[in-house]
Amino acid sequence: MHKRALGAAAVTGVAALALSACGGSSPTTPSNTGAAGTSKATTSGTPETPSGTAAPVRDANVDLVIWTDADRSKAVQKYADQFAAENGVSVKVQISTDTRAQFKDATKVGKGPDVIVGAHDWLGELVQNSTVAPVNLSSDVAAKFLPSAIAATKFNGQSYGVPYAVENIGLMYNKDLVPNPPKTMEELVATGEKLVKEGKAKQVLSQFVSKVGNAYFAYPYLSAFSDGGIFATKDNGDYDPNKLIVNSPGSVKGGEVLAELGKEKVLSTNVDDTNQDALFDTKAAPFMISGPWSVAKAKEAGINYGIAPLPSLAGGGAMKPFLGVQMFYVSSKAKNAALAQEFVTNYIPRKDVQLALFEVGKRPPALKEAYDEVAASDPDVKAWYEAGVDGKPMPNIPAMNSVWGPFGQATADIIAGKAGAQARLDAAAKEIAANIAKG
Amino acid sequence: MTKPLALAIKWVLIVATMAGILWVATKLAQAGNTMAVVIAGLVGMGILAVYATRRAVPLKYLVPGLLFMTLFQLWPVLYTASLSTTNYGDGHLYSKEESVSDIIAQSVREVADTPRYKMSVATKEGGDPTTADLVLLLTKPDGSPFVGDKTGLQPLPATGVEKTPVGKITKAPGYTILNARQANARSKDLSAIAVPTTDGGGIKPVGLSEAFEGRATVTYDANADKLTDSSTQPPTVYAPKDARWVNVADPTVSFPQGWKESVGLANYTRIFTDPTIRSGFLGIFVWNVVFAIVSVLSTFLLGMLIALLFNDPRLRGKAVYRSLLILPYALPGFVTALVWKGMFNQDYGIINQTLGLGVDWLGTSAGAKAAILITNLWLGFPYMFIVCTGALQSIPQDVREAATIDGANAFRTLRSIIMPLLLVAVGPLLLASFAFNFNNFGLIYLLTKGGPFNGADTSIGSSDLLITYAFRLAFSGSAPNYGFAAAVSVIIFLLVALMSIPGFRRTKALEEVN
Repeated sequence: MHKRALGAAAVTGVAALALSACGGSSPTTPSNTGAAGTSKATTSGTPETPSGTAAPVRDANVDLVIWTDADRSKAVQKYADQFAAENGVSVKVQISTDTRAQFKDATKVGKGPDVIVGAHDWLGELVQNSTVAPVNLSSDVAAKFLPSAIAATKFNGQSYGVPYAVENIGLMYNKDLVPNPPKTMEELVATGEKLVKEGKAKQVLSQFVSKVGNAYFAYPYLSAFSDGGIFATKDNGDYDPNKLIVNSPGSVKGGEVLAELGKEKVLSTNVDDTNQDALFDTKAAPFMISGPWSVAKAKEAGINYGIAPLPSLAGGGAMKPFLGVQMFYVSSKAKNAALAQEFVTNYIPRKDVQLALFEVGKRPPALKEAYDEVAASDPDVKAWYEAGVDGKPMPNIPAMNSVWGPFGQATADIIAGKAGAQARLDAAAKEIAANIAKG
Repeated sequence: MTKPLALAIKWVLIVATMAGILWVATKLAQAGNTMAVVIAGLVGMGILAVYATRRAVPLKYLVPGLLFMTLFQLWPVLYTASLSTTNYGDGHLYSKEESVSDIIAQSVREVADTPRYKMSVATKEGGDPTTADLVLLLTKPDGSPFVGDKTGLQPLPATGVEKTPVGKITKAPGYTILNARQANARSKDLSAIAVPTTDGGGIKPVGLSEAFEGRATVTYDANADKLTDSSTQPPTVYAPKDARWVNVADPTVSFPQGWKESVGLANYTRIFTDPTIRSGFLGIFVWNVVFAIVSVLSTFLLGMLIALLFNDPRLRGKAVYRSLLILPYALPGFVTALVWKGMFNQDYGIINQTLGLGVDWLGTSAGAKAAILITNLWLGFPYMFIVCTGALQSIPQDVREAATIDGANAFRTLRSIIMPLLLVAVGPLLLASFAFNFNNFGLIYLLTKGGPFNGADTSIGSSDLLITYAFRLAFSGSAPNYGFAAAVSVIIFLLVALMSIPGFRRTKALEEVN
């Protein structure tokens, strides 16, 4: 009897402690940390901000609902208000922390917005899930945009939105260490190694590779060769999911360059998103291959940076990056389809709107007129644009989802020297083809 | 407490619960979910029957637990199981009918060499803007006005017509022009309008101020259950196959929009027959069990040792040490995991730098596993420390004294007196910790994402747990396939349940020691 009471006391004591300590059934870590780390700080302002990472709740009483990320919300809000005043309607701009997923889920249950702001490579997935509607821009308005930006808004020959910005990666270099940007990869490596030898830098180049690889950053090495790349294109310019070229002779040549640079420690799987900017911003690396998103940090660190096109590879041509196009989509289940179409087709192509969106993102505007005005005064924008002038839009076909993982991992393995370029890219092609076939 | 007061409180609570259920039911009714409304009603009636009467006393205690168990345990399990027999996933979200109407709607193309019209939405004069038939007042690029409705396009007499500088008609005799809000309210009717033209196309509105002549290139033949795309020469025919519209002539080509359908046990068959999954599943499962067991044991041992140390009455400043030791537990786990990830970096990480090692922690299979176990030890030992401290303090001093008097040395006391008493209290928590670590998604995802991926297969990583593997199948990879991931989850659920049974038996045995 005595012993039993004792045991019970111990149990209750511990249980009480356990309850007060963790308040749930998660003994070691908070259980709510999964879900892809999509949370992003939201700024306060006129646009409605959601609490935490939950999807915004659609307001039933307004005539047009727009979802965007926090960065763009203020610029969108300004023109949404103007649109509302001109048409005598009410418009609400809501911040979504993960528009791609939240839009899909909310639309499925009939609570999605009318318009979303997003990247063009979501398109295939959005069409596949029947969540976006065609946007019929007239040909004379479409002609006012950069052709590559308009091409990016199309899927199966149908147009699905209006672009407002184009982004791509380029070569950032530290002007204090390197007065003139190198034109070729040999030149880059030689300059970098000289600086390392002189003790002015610790490594040649900072490029996002990571242990699982990064297909977006590895692609330009393949595209530098004549038939290198990921998918071949159809006659109408669309990417063809049945024509995989990741192991074409050109792609393999690109893979061999990756292997060589990996051997020379120019590229390393230990550089990833967590330290890529830091290496450049602490002057450990005189060169960094990155995009406009890295500029603000470099500026803050006081780096005298320059932006140049990616160098060319021996035996091939210039490395051509992927273009990412930011655009406005109209939901296929929009409750206010007419106003949504009106806003997207009539407002977004305006120069002042494109300029305002440039101010918040600092990506080259997709509208030629707006780009010309910005490029005249902002050398960075001109440099980014020129770095991407030969680039092709990232594939927006759903099959691209099957590529990112296997292709990225293949490039990481090649850089780490785990496998030869030909063999590893052949294996990646086989895996990608199998994944596409599985659907 | 006086009886009337208790009664009042009881009725207030009952009424509040009823109001809550009513609120939920109205929300469900708004969402159009009849079945759920009925269930909510039944639950409400059940609660009323149990608590408003004097009968069913045992149920008064059991109902809340039963309700929550159904809501948070049974329902998710049943829902997952039902999902696992479908192909639900990207490209298979809606019904077949919806896929047909969507494909047709998306196939509308602008007819070549046709003008763009400026457009206003209107009704015949005197018509009700919310219900009357809509007409489109159109202006060709040359400025000539037209009126279009479902019968066709007619010229509009120019007298009395007023236009904006760009040509949008703002006034026309015989018609009432709708303002933006009125027109928007008719969005559904507007999207259905196609003013027929002589060449088989239709003039359709774009927004509220423009119209174009478009034609759907895909048609559906309901009798043959086939889609025909006339934009190619010769027209392409698509037939349903595996929940998609597949080109009859070239089966590698299909429309991206498929539909949701039941696939029976195909997802389960795939788990057990797909060679990559089969070979990977066993490896993942073994590592998963090893990970969970080692995590529990290592954190428990370290936590217990520190707790024993700090339980010594001679130690001073215990409060300070104890608070410091709880820190790793108090910090958000995902921050800690990311910090450790940085510390394990081969070139830049502090671990290799201070120890002068060149270990590729996150790039080799053994390194990644070691890194995960070390990080989890750091994250998990404070919890065990707290739990053991609590349990140790509840073991009375006289038991130990009795052992000392009987001649037992310190180790013997620990093994024969303290450990059994401690395990009675901590045993169930170790089991819970095992179940939690078995599905410790956050740690793996933040530290290694399941990698490194060896060989030419990126679907199975060498540090994957079953749960991260299921996540990759469901949400990343080629196309998110919820049905298949649900099947994997059901299997995981069964595995954890099976493994818990001997565990619970063992705890029972421990309790019987007393």
